[in-house]
Amino acid sequence: MSDIPAIEVRGLRRVFDVRQGLFAKPRQVVAVDDVSFSVPAGSVLGIVGESGCGKTTLARMILGLLPPSSGDVLIDGQRLGDLDRRARARLIQPVFQDPFSSLNPRRRVRDIVAMPLVAQGNIAGDEVKRRVGEALERVGLSAEQGSRYPSQLSGGQRQRVAIARALVLRPRIVVCDEPTSALDVSVQAQILNLLAELRKDLGLTYLFISHNLAVVEHVASEVAVMYLGRIVERNESEALFAHPQHPYTRALLDSVLTPEPGLGVPDVGLGDTMPDPANIPPGCRFHPRCPLAFERCSHETPKLTPNEAGFVECLLAEE
Amino acid sequence: MSVTVVPGTGAARRLLRNIGFVVGATIVGVTLIVAILAPWITPYDPFAVDLVHRLVPPSFMEDGTPANFLGTDQLGRDYLSRLIYGARISMIIGIATVITSGIIGTTLGILGGFYGGRMDDVVMFLITARLSIPVVLVALAVAGLLGSSFILVILVLGLLLWDRFAVVARSTTMQIRTLDYVSAAWCAGSSQASVLLREILPNIATHLAVVATLEMALAILLEAALSFLGLGVPAPLPSWGLMIAEAKEYMFFTPWVILVPGIALFVLVLGVNLLGDALRDLLGTDLNR
Repeated sequence: MSDIPAIEVRGLRRVFDVRQGLFAKPRQVVAVDDVSFSVPAGSVLGIVGESGCGKTTLARMILGLLPPSSGDVLIDGQRLGDLDRRARARLIQPVFQDPFSSLNPRRRVRDIVAMPLVAQGNIAGDEVKRRVGEALERVGLSAEQGSRYPSQLSGGQRQRVAIARALVLRPRIVVCDEPTSALDVSVQAQILNLLAELRKDLGLTYLFISHNLAVVEHVASEVAVMYLGRIVERNESEALFAHPQHPYTRALLDSVLTPEPGLGVPDVGLGDTMPDPANIPPGCRFHPRCPLAFERCSHETPKLTPNEAGFVECLLAEE
Repeated sequence: MSVTVVPGTGAARRLLRNIGFVVGATIVGVTLIVAILAPWITPYDPFAVDLVHRLVPPSFMEDGTPANFLGTDQLGRDYLSRLIYGARISMIIGIATVITSGIIGTTLGILGGFYGGRMDDVVMFLITARLSIPVVLVALAVAGLLGSSFILVILVLGLLLWDRFAVVARSTTMQIRTLDYVSAAWCAGSSQASVLLREILPNIATHLAVVATLEMALAILLEAALSFLGLGVPAPLPSWGLMIAEAKEYMFFTPWVILVPGIALFVLVLGVNLLGDALRDLLGTDLNR
C-alpha cells in the first residue's frame, strides 16, 4: 500500500443560496463547513449523522458532481478538478442510495453496467461484453438478468446492478451513499456482505455514508460523525463505538432502538428542535441541543482537536 | 411517482385493451394508408373538371349516381377523389409540423432544462415571445408578402407550434437531470452529449409523444382554418379546409358539400386526440394543459 491517501479532503466548504421568493434576499445555507480528512488506501471511512447534516453534499463533492465553494478534494494524490472525466471514472465510482432512481429505466441491465466502459471510448466491443459478464457474475447476477430492464428486478438485484456498474472499471475508491437504507432489512445484510467481500477481493477503499450506526459499525474501519456540516468526532471504529467522546456521538449511539419492545423510543436529551443549516448557532454549533452545554459553549468555537486516539470538536474534550 | 412502461409485451397488450387507443390508431392508420395510396385508389383525377355534372349528390342520396360515390363539387370534380387527396395534405401538414416543431421545441426545452441559469432564461424568453405571437396573424403576413403555398403553410406551422414541446421538454428534463442515474452517468465519465441523448432523451420521449399527438391535431385544424380563410393551401389543391370554404356558398341548397369534408376533418382530429389521450393514460404522463 502506498502512503498517498486514497481520498484527501482539505478545508472543504459548500454554500447554497436558497431563494425564498422574488424579492426576498437569498439565504445562505452552509451544507458543508470546512471539512478535512483523509482516507488511507484500503480502509473504510464511515460517515454518520442525522438527515441534513451534509453527508450527501460531501459525497457529491468528492465524486465531482458538485463543485466545492472552497477547499480541495484529492483523489489518489491528484486534485479532482485536474482529472478529466475518464481518468476520474477510473479512480472513483458511486453506489447511490435508491436503486430505483439510480438505474436508467429505459436501458437494459447490461447496457447500464457497460456504461463506464463505453464512456472510456477505447475499449473494444468484445472486451466490454466480457467485462460486463464478469462484473455481473461477481455481484451474483446471471447473464440472463443482464438482458432485463431495471423494473423487472427486485430492489436488492437493482442495487447489485448499481454495484456492478461501479466496479466494472475496477476503480480504487467507491463512494457508497446510504447503499442499504432503501432496501428491505432482509436484503441489507446481503448487500453489505457483498460490499465487504468485494472490498477484500479487489482492495477497494470505501467512503461509506449512512445514518444507520449498526451498518457503519459493521463495515467501517474509521468513523467520522457529522453535525451541521462539520465533522465533530473522528476515531477508529471500535474506539468510537466503545468510548464516544462528543456529546452528539453519545446521543446518536443512545438513540439506537433496543430490541426491548416496552422501552419505546429512547430519550437522548437532544430536545426536539431540528438544527437549521441556514442559521448556524454561534460558538459550538451543537450547544443549543447539548445536554452538557455550559456558558463558554455559546460564544467559543471549539476546534477539531486530536487526543489519545481520535479527533473531537468539543470544549469539554479540549481541557 | 412516474410510471414507466417497460418496452415489451405487457405494454403492447395494455395498449390493445384500451378502446380509445384502438379507435384512434385505426382512424389515424386508415387515414395514413389512404393518404399514401391516394394515386392508386382514387376513382378519378381530383383536378378533372366536368362542368356537365356539377354538384351531383352522393350515390346514396336522391338523384345520386353510382359513378360518383360522394358526388361532385361545384366544378364537377369527384368529391371522393378530392377528399382522399385532402387526407394526403392533412397528414403531410400534421406530420411535417410535428417533426419541425418537435425538433425545435425539444432542443430548446432540453437545453433550458438541462443547463438552467442563463440558458434557461433565454429559452423561457423565447417561449414567452412565441406564445405572444398569434399564428393566424403571422400566416396572414406571410400570405400577403409571399403568396400562399403548401410549403409556406408547413413552415409557418412548424416554426410556430413548438412552444408546448419546449415547455414539456424543459420541465421533464429539469426533473430528470437531478436523478441518481444521471449522476451515475456523470460519475461513469460519460460526455454531455451521451448524458443528453442516452439518459435524458429516452426518458422524456413518452411525454414528447403525447405532445406530438396534441400538436398534430392542432396543426391539422389550423391548416384547415388557414385554408378556409384563403391564407393556407392555395386552390386547386384539395385541402379539406379549402373544400369547406368553396362549399360554403352552396351549403343551403346542397349541405352535403360542407358536411363531407367537415366530418372527415372531425373524425381525423378526434382520432389523433384519442390516440394522444390513450398514450397519456397508458404512459402515466400527466400534462396539465
